Amino acid sequence: MGETITFWVLAVVSVSAALGLVFSRKAVYCALMLGVVMFSLAVLYAVQDAPFLAAVQIIVYTGAVMMLFLFVLMLVGVDSSDSLVETIRGQRFWALVAGLAFAALVGLAIGNTIVGPAAGLAGATQAAGGNVPALAQLIFSRYVFAFEVASALLITAALGAMVLAHRERVRPKPTQKELARARFFSGYAPSLPGPGTYARNNAIDMPALLPDGSVSRLSVNRVIARHDVDDDHFPEDAKLADAIRQAVEEEGK
Amino acid sequence: MGGYFGSYALVVALFAIGVAVVAGALFLNRMLRPTRLTPDKLLTYECGVDPVGEGWAQSQVRYYVFTYLYVVFAVDAVFLFPWATVYAAPGFGMTTLVEMFLFLGFIALGIVYAWRKRVLAWT
Amino acid sequence: MNNTFQAPTIEYGQLAPLLLVFGAAVVGVLIEAFAPRYLRKSFQVPLTFVSLLGAFALILVQVFVSGVPTAPAAMGAVAVDGPSLFIWGVILILAAVSVLLITDDDHFVPQAAAVPGSAEEDDALAEGAAHTEVYPLVLFAVGGMLLFAASNDLLMMFVALEVMSLPLYLLCGLARRRRLLSQEASVKYFLLGAFSSGFFLYGMALIYGFAGTVDLAGISRALGTVSGQDPLLLIGTALLGVGLLFKIGAAPFQAWKPDVYQGAPTPITALMASGTLVAAFGALLRVFWVALGNLDWDWRPVMWGVAILTMVLGAILAITQTDIKRMLAYSSIAHAGFLLVGVIATGDARQNADALSGILFYLLVYGITTVGAFAVVTVVRDAGGEAGHLSRWAGLGKRAPALAGVFAFFLLAFAGIPLTSGFFGKYAVFAAAATGGALPLVIVGVVSSAVAAFFYVRVIVLMFFSEPAADGPTIAVPSMGTAAVVTVAAAATVVLGVFPEPVLRLADQAASTLFIR
Repeated sequence: MGETITFWVLAVVSVSAALGLVFSRKAVYCALMLGVVMFSLAVLYAVQDAPFLAAVQIIVYTGAVMMLFLFVLMLVGVDSSDSLVETIRGQRFWALVAGLAFAALVGLAIGNTIVGPAAGLAGATQAAGGNVPALAQLIFSRYVFAFEVASALLITAALGAMVLAHRERVRPKPTQKELARARFFSGYAPSLPGPGTYARNNAIDMPALLPDGSVSRLSVNRVIARHDVDDDHFPEDAKLADAIRQAVEEEGK
Repeated sequence: MGGYFGSYALVVALFAIGVAVVAGALFLNRMLRPTRLTPDKLLTYECGVDPVGEGWAQSQVRYYVFTYLYVVFAVDAVFLFPWATVYAAPGFGMTTLVEMFLFLGFIALGIVYAWRKRVLAWT
Repeated sequence: MNNTFQAPTIEYGQLAPLLLVFGAAVVGVLIEAFAPRYLRKSFQVPLTFVSLLGAFALILVQVFVSGVPTAPAAMGAVAVDGPSLFIWGVILILAAVSVLLITDDDHFVPQAAAVPGSAEEDDALAEGAAHTEVYPLVLFAVGGMLLFAASNDLLMMFVALEVMSLPLYLLCGLARRRRLLSQEASVKYFLLGAFSSGFFLYGMALIYGFAGTVDLAGISRALGTVSGQDPLLLIGTALLGVGLLFKIGAAPFQAWKPDVYQGAPTPITALMASGTLVAAFGALLRVFWVALGNLDWDWRPVMWGVAILTMVLGAILAITQTDIKRMLAYSSIAHAGFLLVGVIATGDARQNADALSGILFYLLVYGITTVGAFAVVTVVRDAGGEAGHLSRWAGLGKRAPALAGVFAFFLLAFAGIPLTSGFFGKYAVFAAAATGGALPLVIVGVVSSAVAAFFYVRVIVLMFFSEPAADGPTIAVPSMGTAAVVTVAAAATVVLGVFPEPVLRLADQAASTLFIR
């Protein structure tokens, strides 16, 4: 009974999530929908006496593979968008027809199958002492060769990821010393000093100088300038003093 | 749901209590504090600077390799679990040990390769 | 823990060729990890050849010293029987010949992670960087091919399918020139391949639902005992068929072939067009003859349709092509159709053995000729790489008579003209099909061969009887490897065309035991 209820609840959840995955415009939403589908599958496995498969579904798929998907999505820039131009005319229509026909075919075929009462997994795995040990027995004896060969798949994937995504340094990485040396020998003046290197004051009441030596009008603090004029307290530099006076006059207008 | 999952009932109950404590505290907090929202308060907080542009950042393809390595570890962990349950059983010991470590050795090869390619080093 | 564990028995002797290839691939990865860059190639190339030829020698030892095994190995996962051993030999020869082409670095991108056309790419090129990972990847692919053709249960077959395909997806994207095209080919192949794997997997699940086992012999037994679940079986068979027919590039599932063959680096195209086809036919035969052999009344009509469509589509679309690699791709589709005619020609054991022998011989001769043809394609070059467009091949016969002559000879072999190996290949398959009651198919096959021949002859005419363009392509001085490939392929095509007897007899012997169960 519990299994039936769980199935029907999850059927609705996972099918709607799958539809959302297909029809959602935003890639991240698609990924989250996929997460929901995977999660519902995990629960379905759990209900059907396959706790290990459920755990694997969550650890590997909802965890690791989803992470991989999200990374791939993040590789895609914000400004990229799908091209919705059909290169083959009527493609979408026929794809839809074929898809529905296929779904109907599979649905009918499986619906027509005469299925006996469910035997349950527990009976099959009892001899080995439970679900996980039963799996272990198969993996390490009957299917051991497939198990070992599967590792070739993982090595290939490692090689592939590295070849396609990792840029090996062709030449050694330049050290700080080499970079500095290159800059000094480049013929340009060695880098200009950073801002503030030649400043004689470090106060908010001093107007700032632009790189060409002129005064930045923006940097004059109006409130302090007014106090300066009131107290007749000006910087020694005539240029700066002028700027302060000017700022107060402008404000007065 | 008896049987296998029944043995986890305590874990589930504990988890539920944990969630209830945290959620209850947050709910109480919510009930007690005054809430007056302004548009400024609802902005994303980024060190006091107003957020500009989209929140979506494109990441470098080389980080893909790290996720891939994570997947490899996840996959071999999956095979380790069933192995761990039967390892001590009669007849399983040496044979499965060799089989498992052959598999792990092959997988480790991928990581050795990544390490030698200086994928794991900060560049 | 009620019952004790039975340690698995692995017949290392029978699996030695397979283990050698996989072992060499693993060592290749270690070399990539630890050898300094300038030494890698000089380790990888000998290692690859030694492993491929060593595996071939191990097959000879198996056949002539230990004898052909009569029971599946590795707990029933792998069937090392007569056909398997023959197919293994063919794959290993074809792979070794293709690797001769692969040793020419000029086909592969120096740094795959560099953006096409960027400064980094130029840097990498100037530094003489190269992806020597290509060699272990090829070895993994070859290992997958060997296993794919010899898998005795669907699970093993699926793992082998992936082990074979994954390196190939990757290798397709590594062409040095026209990189965007190459990368597109790789992505297309990957997406469609993953899709077809999905079909295969779903078919496998449905068949498991029917038979309660993934073992090929077990499925065959279940055909007689399980009742009331035919829909599962039929849909499962169809889906499994889709997955396998995709790999051989049969008609409704052929769309990937021209694009991928064109975009991939030509040596990899040669490997795919020969090795993958052979392996996929091995697997197809095993699934449809061993597991679903008693269901032939159900799958035969569909296979008829697929075979006819494949032959006709391949032959007709080849005519409209203007790119030499695309043309060879369509020709490969047509040849897959001819081979399917042999797959349909089942009957009693004697008939099956005849058909199987024909297919085995055809696979060998077609594979070798294909590798040779692609080797010629690598030598005819423009400023931007290989001169793909057919118009560039005009008058090649006057500029490079020997090369054009060899290529013309390969084309004639594709067409199945007498005195070439292709003739006996076609003859063996069509004769078996005619006695197997598939006469209409044979007629379609002969007609589409004629259509294809028309096109091959047109290329020959173009090469020999039209004026060379003033700025025609240059004929690159072939590297040692390429020259060797062209020579070997041409020699094999001649010898098997004039004196096919020993190899035919070998194929007969290999086929006589049929597939073990």
